[in-house]
Amino acid sequence: MLPKVKGPEMNDRDRVNDVLATEKYLITVANIAAWESSHSELHQDAVSICQELQECHRDLFNLMFKKGWYKLEAEEQQKLDQAYKQFSNYSTQFPYTTQAH
Amino acid sequence: MQQQNTSGQQPPVMNEPPRVITTKDALYLKDHMSWHLMTMKKCAHYAQECTDPEIRQALDQAGRMHQKHYQMLLKHCQNNNTAEMAKVPQPKPGQQQQQGQQQNQQNQQQMQ
Repeated sequence: MLPKVKGPEMNDRDRVNDVLATEKYLITVANIAAWESSHSELHQDAVSICQELQECHRDLFNLMFKKGWYKLEAEEQQKLDQAYKQFSNYSTQFPYTTQAH
Repeated sequence: MQQQNTSGQQPPVMNEPPRVITTKDALYLKDHMSWHLMTMKKCAHYAQECTDPEIRQALDQAGRMHQKHYQMLLKHCQNNNTAEMAKVPQPKPGQQQQQGQQQNQQNQQQMQ
């Protein structure tokens, strides 16, 4: 597998990371193209390209995660609870009446 | 949207944009095909170099997707713009046509 001390050459992680970054870029520009496309057939193709790019990006991300190339850091419970409290109180500002949660 | 002209003539109205590739569409298509081409090459190249078969397969799959998208976009360049534009109600000859679909429609409603 990967050598312990890495050299300047690209490894598998670098390669998939580069493709992941490229997909992110393509998703943004494909979105703009979808917004700007004129007739509906072109628009539909543009939208489906956007969707497939998103799925492809997610697949690559999941694969990288599986390989252990992404680390998760959980927010402190206290801070999360505090955020919940704070934003629950903002429900007085909602313009629509909602059912009790 | 639909307004009767004071002259009494029905202005030409289109309910949706015609199946025409606009100048803007064409610019996007060309740009995006170039990016898809570059990305499929990159994926194919990287896939060959990969040591991990799972990564290799994922990159190969991504590359094939980009090739498919390239072909989808290319299809739109094979459009008969002349024939499609012929179906569009035209303003009086000699009058300048403006760029942009919405503007175009509005102008056509005002003219004649």
